[in-house]
Amino acid sequence: MKILVCVKQVPVPEAIYEIDPGARWVTPGSGVEYQMNRYDECAVEEAVRIKEAFPETVIDVLSIGPSRADAVIRRAMGMGADDGIHIMTRTAEFHDPFTIAYWIAAMARRNTYDLIFTGIMSEDMMQGQIGPLTAELLSIPCATAVVSAALHKNNVHVEREIEGGYRESVELKLPALLTIQSGIHTPRYPSLSNLLRANKQPVHTIEARTLAHPGDRQAAHQVKRPQNIRNGIFLEGTTEVKADQLLKILMERSFL
Amino acid sequence: MMKCEPHPIVVIVEHDNGKIRPVTYELLTFAANIRQCPAQRIMAVILGDSVEQPAEKIAQATGIPVWAASAKEFKFYNAEVYKHALHLLMAALQPAYVCIANSSCGSDFAPGLAVRLQAACITQVQGIRSTSDGVCFTRAILGGKLHLEVRPLTKTTVLTLQPGMMPPAVESDGLPGEVVLKKIHVPPQSSKTLAINAVRSDDLALADAKAVVSAGRGIGDETNMSLVHQLADCIPHAVVCGSRPVVDLGWLPYNRQVGVTGSTVSPALYVACGISGAEQHVSGMRTSGFIVSINKDPTAAIFHLSDVCIVEDLKTFIPAVISAIKSQKGTPES
Repeated sequence: MKILVCVKQVPVPEAIYEIDPGARWVTPGSGVEYQMNRYDECAVEEAVRIKEAFPETVIDVLSIGPSRADAVIRRAMGMGADDGIHIMTRTAEFHDPFTIAYWIAAMARRNTYDLIFTGIMSEDMMQGQIGPLTAELLSIPCATAVVSAALHKNNVHVEREIEGGYRESVELKLPALLTIQSGIHTPRYPSLSNLLRANKQPVHTIEARTLAHPGDRQAAHQVKRPQNIRNGIFLEGTTEVKADQLLKILMERSFL
Repeated sequence: MMKCEPHPIVVIVEHDNGKIRPVTYELLTFAANIRQCPAQRIMAVILGDSVEQPAEKIAQATGIPVWAASAKEFKFYNAEVYKHALHLLMAALQPAYVCIANSSCGSDFAPGLAVRLQAACITQVQGIRSTSDGVCFTRAILGGKLHLEVRPLTKTTVLTLQPGMMPPAVESDGLPGEVVLKKIHVPPQSSKTLAINAVRSDDLALADAKAVVSAGRGIGDETNMSLVHQLADCIPHAVVCGSRPVVDLGWLPYNRQVGVTGSTVSPALYVACGISGAEQHVSGMRTSGFIVSINKDPTAAIFHLSDVCIVEDLKTFIPAVISAIKSQKGTPES
């Protein structure tokens, strides 16, 4: 069994962004920290669990990003992925999700994967597109928001989480692509032995500019601060002063 | 000057076994807002195993034409089935835009459908703006901290719309739209939906709650959940709930999850503790009466939606509030 897991390096949720008026795109400042996209951690975890159940499984982990994205590839290998592939982009600019999927599909065709996993969406772009686009480009079936996956000989049974407290049971023929929702299993910490092995191992690196580019289908036009939906007041002063102010507000409104 | 676009705008009807979901009417407003001139047609397409009635209902209520495709393969939603059928129908319609709900099924099939139509796909759209470079679609990025306007470069564009962002289309008292029944043959696909199962019953305490104290990922540690419970104990009628990450970690049961795939609540008071404000959670609580948010990140998206914004570490702030409340009540701390 051969699995490809796609992971993305994203800024930490507390990162702060400055934007120039009229700017097309935003780059996080130099002090920003990065981590693996939370949902991609879940995807790696699901792949590693399959490998634990079927020890002949080989897991390739792929990431597309600038040189710092190497860190998330190493982390995935520390969690149990076998080999790393890094499609190196020069800057952290806006990428059409179709182009990203196109590159992933191009790499996937160099091997024969039974399963491809991605996280349900990235925490930075929040699109939920890469999985379904990649599946379509490879002409393989796709299921998103997967909360459980049971492998059979030629197919995989999944449960998709849908609205209202329901789950959909779907059977997909292999090869298939699944986008993984959080909450199934808590992603494991990388093990020291895996990390040591990962750090010694070369990651297969390809420059994105050497790959065929499909032509953009969308472009970033402008980045903006969201407008306030409610014009809330920011409390000021020490912790105790703010606590007293909040108490006063709640009492004025008869919540207490 | 924008020349009038002859290619139609198609809305894909979102329904639950024939029961039309409200987001469908929001999609119609969305379509009307994208339309470049009155001559550009708006129409709806519905797939299902028995869709004549819902199709008539929409055509009557809105006056727009509806294509209704029936097939037994549409009984349960399935991505491969929907992509196949919609590809056939869109090839006949040559739309400028295909407008889909950003629901669990819409987000499942929209990108793949876009590939089949050689279209751009822009998801989780919250707004539209006409610019000199064309129509741009606004979407949230970075946990909702920033908005990005995206411009499609293709003849056809597939869009998914966030529910709750547009008002529903106004009922038309004009003539009902034409309903056209379409027969689609769906060959066997590489994926098959077997069943739909309920796994969670709604927590009635949450649905009727007058006050909610909610925990997000910023809680940090399971031990801090006791602060949230203690705060809820100080507020009359308050119920504790949380965003997805907190439930994923097992710190609250599944029936206390508020958000897209969890519950929607609308209490008079909502106190958000360590919640970032990304749409997946906010969609479940945005109609709350009075929203108080506590977060140590001053740029958290939740502050755009709050009535009272408190930039504090909840580990020190919540105890301070509890202390203030208890002093006020004159209750000695036990």
